[in-house]
Amino acid sequence: MEKLIGILRASGADGWEIRDTQTKGWEFYFIKHQLDQHRVKEVRHVNLTVYKKSEDGKYIGFCDGEVYPDDDEKTIEKQVSSLIYSASLMKNPVYALNQPKAAQSIDTKPYTVREISRDFLNLMNAVKETEYKYINSYEIFVNEQTFRLITSEGIDVKETSPVSMMEVVVNAKDEKHEIELYRMYRSGTCDPSRIREDLEKTMRYGHDRLKAKPTMHLNSAPVVFSDSNALKIADFFLDRTNAAYIYRGMSSWKKGEPYAEELRGDRVSLRALRYLDNSYCNRIYDREGAPVRDLSLIDQGIVKAYHGSRMFSQYIGNDDSFIVSNFELSGGTASEEEIRSGSYLEAVEFSDFQVDSLTGDIFGEIRLAYWHDGNTVTPISGGSVSGNMNELMKTMRMSSEMKQLSAARIPAAIRLEHVTIAGEGE
Amino acid sequence: MKAPFSEYLSLIAQPLKDVVSLLQNDYEYVSALASDSKGLNVRISAHAKSVSDKTMANERGIVFRAAKEGRYCEYAFNEFDYEHPQQEYRRIKAALDEQYELLSETGTKIYETPLPKDEPCTLFHQSQTEQLPETADIDGIVKRFTSLCEKAMNMTSFMIDCTLSGQSTHVCKMFITAKRMMKQSYVYSEATIVPVVSKEGRNQYAYEGISGLCGPELFDQLGAKLEKAVNDAVELLDAGRIVPGEYEIITSPEVTGLIAHEAFGHGVEMDMFVKNRALGAEYINQRVASDLVSMHEGALCAENVTSYAFDDEGNPADDVTEIDHGILKTGICDELSALRLGVRATGNGKRENFEHKVYTRMTNTVFDSGTDKVEDMIASVKYGYLLEGMESGMEDPKHWGIQCIVKCGREIIDGKLTGRIVSPVILTGYVPQVLGNITMVSDDREIFGTGGCGKGYKEWVKVADGGPYLKTKARLG
Repeated sequence: MEKLIGILRASGADGWEIRDTQTKGWEFYFIKHQLDQHRVKEVRHVNLTVYKKSEDGKYIGFCDGEVYPDDDEKTIEKQVSSLIYSASLMKNPVYALNQPKAAQSIDTKPYTVREISRDFLNLMNAVKETEYKYINSYEIFVNEQTFRLITSEGIDVKETSPVSMMEVVVNAKDEKHEIELYRMYRSGTCDPSRIREDLEKTMRYGHDRLKAKPTMHLNSAPVVFSDSNALKIADFFLDRTNAAYIYRGMSSWKKGEPYAEELRGDRVSLRALRYLDNSYCNRIYDREGAPVRDLSLIDQGIVKAYHGSRMFSQYIGNDDSFIVSNFELSGGTASEEEIRSGSYLEAVEFSDFQVDSLTGDIFGEIRLAYWHDGNTVTPISGGSVSGNMNELMKTMRMSSEMKQLSAARIPAAIRLEHVTIAGEGE
Repeated sequence: MKAPFSEYLSLIAQPLKDVVSLLQNDYEYVSALASDSKGLNVRISAHAKSVSDKTMANERGIVFRAAKEGRYCEYAFNEFDYEHPQQEYRRIKAALDEQYELLSETGTKIYETPLPKDEPCTLFHQSQTEQLPETADIDGIVKRFTSLCEKAMNMTSFMIDCTLSGQSTHVCKMFITAKRMMKQSYVYSEATIVPVVSKEGRNQYAYEGISGLCGPELFDQLGAKLEKAVNDAVELLDAGRIVPGEYEIITSPEVTGLIAHEAFGHGVEMDMFVKNRALGAEYINQRVASDLVSMHEGALCAENVTSYAFDDEGNPADDVTEIDHGILKTGICDELSALRLGVRATGNGKRENFEHKVYTRMTNTVFDSGTDKVEDMIASVKYGYLLEGMESGMEDPKHWGIQCIVKCGREIIDGKLTGRIVSPVILTGYVPQVLGNITMVSDDREIFGTGGCGKGYKEWVKVADGGPYLKTKARLG
């Protein structure tokens, strides 16, 4: 590392950042509960960003590249020189790199990759299954990541954290049919109780999907979203307050103003969070060396601050910002029970529900939803939902009960009115 | 010129063979895959300009695969002390032994799998290219893209941004076993234009791309796509919403490609057969589409971004006929799944990069052309839509459901395009029904390689897909 820093200091670059990421990973792949294969990963990636200003100082360009640990000094010198040349061709309005700043540390409970792996293996061995509801396959990824950032401005910070992920396919069957449902869990260490609870719920969904009827032709209806689908709706608000969206004209949300006129539903509050229990994104500093902190982005429907990279933040005059890792969307005024009242569709499984933050379009093919007509509940499948958040957010309602998913805390249920439903059943 | 092979890989070839040989004292089968792939990624927009060596496939690293008593394991790393193979052998063995210790401790059962045959093979493949990403004229590319960006921004007052992006990757891979030494070097490139427009608070964008088995010289062709991309984006600003229902549709080649890939391709990846996750396993030699439909898959069936000579398990590339005149003939298969199913591996074992596991993955997935003219196809529609612009899709192999998100539907009434468009369009349905309803197939075809493909929500690899215009019926929402 000292060799690389020396080369960069002598290189003529106007700034540089070294991101040194070392990962020790254990992976386990299962078919039912039999081991397909096991893998060990021990990798190190040293990524560089070099900056070069134009002669008149009005512009700055940057270029990213990876340096390989086993390259010799001459090869690295040549590579750095080439990166500086490429950076000099990129004429972006000049901006300044982050300066060193103190930040509050994060306490991490002691762990090892082996212990976390054991927790996942034991958890999956203990899942309650039946002949008709069972685990089809799963993949476990446990990593310990050490990230060090060194910059030309004097930042030198190092953080180590656990990053885990598990993908699970759950099957349900009866005498005639068999269906599957997909889950992906991301966390710091293993969270057995949350995963166990969710897997049990998924198996119930699987059972219901077997008896689901074709989605009826509703034209338009209220739809309740939860879990990962609700998270995608929350991401829309996070993207629309991103400095890059603001600078590029893709979001017209202005500080001090409501994010929409004629808000008749709940008023969203959005906060960046420095720390969320067992999130895989708990970071003291962002990838550019800015301290991560709690920050109100939207308060009761009023835009308060923007977030994002150093470059775009400075371009919009938002000097003291950072790249958000954890966040919270809140503002719900009703209980979950109230959110789930009257006639509505509760969509719990999609092929791939999407919210396009640029256009505001939402869409997804329904794999399992429940149609509540006020008296009866009917599981349905097939067809699709669609609409546009620019309109739907005006009447959006959220539960006051919250739930943590991966690196976000969001309402347990989000209700959108007047969602288009394309179905085929009666 | 021929794409040169990596000097680094040549340097480490013998030490890697030595490690393979040492590991064979402990395992019954050992292979090593080493990669050293260089990339170039230039991105110019009206608001930001950047360049890097990061593409979807640039990497340098090594992965060893070992098998013993039916158990398979892998060790992936990228700091190889090639002067001390004995030391590296000890490190790899110790890491895998430690992990196996935990598996024994937790009473984990093994899915026992036979050993590969490992038939002898020596191969050295180099593709042709005019330029390489590592020595490309970046100044020239930046000037060209900047000029195109400025042109786009001046085309209409609705423009708020336009991003031009060019990526090129020089892939070098080496596969080694006791009996195999396989090397390949090829270059693929892709470039895209994404104009973003806004009107009265409503944002829209369009997308045009090019791709090929060639170097950054491909980027010269991007300008020809500019006008269409901007016009499409502007047109979408006034798009309406579709009335949900079943319609006669004509799919443009990129939507055809999306159906080939998402609706059908994923469903015949045979690692899903092993897990009992694909309905396709029950339909081999049965009708799944109309007689007009034939479909091919393989690195050899087209020249595009994923046309390699061998896959990441050292199996040679192939051209597999998946559907022959409506009958499902076979799927595609990686090595381990082939051993488990007792079938032949088809050269479709791919990794996201050396750090990732192999899965059965698509390469080029393409419907064959037919005999119809596009004008006749449009003229035959009473009331329906011409679907253009691929946005995304999601596989559903277990149930053969389709979710394809299409950017634009052009209304057709009584055989004529009315000029009215709708956006976005969600195409859903049951695969054999959508393919079974195909009544016309155009006599041309196109292949697109600018996208990536995930397995579920991860494991991103390059793929290409396409085909002709198809006429069928489907549910749109």
